Amino acid sequence: MLSRNFRLQRVGDLDWLRSNYNFAKTSYSIDELVVLDVTRDKKDINIFSKTLKELTKGSFVPISAGGGIENIESARQLLRSGADKIVLNSILYRNEEVVKDLAREFGKQCIIASIDVQLDVNTEYVAMSRNGQVREAGSAQSWIKKIAGQNVGEIYLNSIDRDGTGQGFDLGLLEILPSESSLPTIIAGGAGNSEHLQIGLLDRRVDAVATANLLNFIGNGLGNARRDLVENGIVLPMWDLAEIVIPLQTKLQIGRYLD
Amino acid sequence: MKTSRVTIIDYGMGNIWSVVSAIQHLNVEVNVTSIPKDIESAEALILPGVGSFKKAMEIIRKLQIDQAIYENIAKSGSKILGICLGMQLFGTESSEDGHSLGLGIIPAKVKEFSAEEAGSLKVPHVGFDQVHWKKESRLFQGISESSDFYFVHSYRMLSENLIGKTAICEYGVNFLAAYENQNIFATQFHPEKSQTNGLLLLSNFLKC
Repeated sequence: MLSRNFRLQRVGDLDWLRSNYNFAKTSYSIDELVVLDVTRDKKDINIFSKTLKELTKGSFVPISAGGGIENIESARQLLRSGADKIVLNSILYRNEEVVKDLAREFGKQCIIASIDVQLDVNTEYVAMSRNGQVREAGSAQSWIKKIAGQNVGEIYLNSIDRDGTGQGFDLGLLEILPSESSLPTIIAGGAGNSEHLQIGLLDRRVDAVATANLLNFIGNGLGNARRDLVENGIVLPMWDLAEIVIPLQTKLQIGRYLD
Repeated sequence: MKTSRVTIIDYGMGNIWSVVSAIQHLNVEVNVTSIPKDIESAEALILPGVGSFKKAMEIIRKLQIDQAIYENIAKSGSKILGICLGMQLFGTESSEDGHSLGLGIIPAKVKEFSAEEAGSLKVPHVGFDQVHWKKESRLFQGISESSDFYFVHSYRMLSENLIGKTAICEYGVNFLAAYENQNIFATQFHPEKSQTNGLLLLSNFLKC
């Protein structure tokens, strides 16, 4: 597994993940899990779907998956391997027709448009595709306007500059969203602590905040962050902490998640 | 008496794996099928679904799954749970992609959240949201009152004039979040995506 830092950091392989992570447990602290295949060379959808199935076993939370999706069959395979939504990136710039087809086939609420943005030398935001390797001509603002008009359900806006730095989100990114956009917007790139998440969530234009940092590097980071946010008055979804244990024990223990 | 085996209807649309995973987590055997005979004879059915109503109904009719469902629920001792699009397919008709008829198991129409309803709220309705259910509900037994469930949909059903226990979620308008009437159960939200609340609800369905 690699941190989705554009200066890629190798964190560990699937075995490492299995022994250091309990995704099932971690999943109780989040609203949604996003799993992206950022393999730089030829991506293999079969390997990815198999990995996805394994990773998400025991996680009963929405899962979005993507990375190199360019046709209906790949999308369908992921949706049958635990994904609820598909994350699209490069194809958004390459082929509008495929995006239309995917939305028609699975419903636009199933499609997340992931847009990686970077500041160029003129301090203008530009959109990047292919894992941050290709610069899409024109401004990120005009791309987002175009993409938002296509059949996508949500926008996942990521700052390449901040990604992996833990220095906080680049809220300046939000300026490039079309003002009349009614699409749910997730901001990503740079969150290092719960304060960053809070600042993000308090911005009117933000519907959700994403982080990979707290997940990867700091113990019960996500659980603590969630608790901090709620304590600071941020309204977050609530669920019971129940251990539904199988198969031999049948005791059901229920307690409030935060106490 | 708890169900020992759940049959999940696979018509090619929907997050089958997540539903299978949740039922298996509850230590119940799962059978995934599109064969009408197996659907008809099932002890408990789940109709999941993600995507287009129109397309789903076309496939369901073509595979004669609709007939199998009708035969199944007419039998005593069987039950069915529709999830998300699955619940909408139980409706009488939908305006998605033109107009198409549903299974007619729940006497309600499926329509998109209108501009007046949604107001400044974004459509699709995505995310965890609070559901308000009636005290006597079997599906929500034992679940804390302020619990959230996971929704992702642009179309909704309304609860007016429905017999049976209805549960509501407010999103610009009070829409039908869940429905139960005799052996017909349905949720607009995804219980298999709603953390522990969802697992509890599924567990309740199995015990009904």
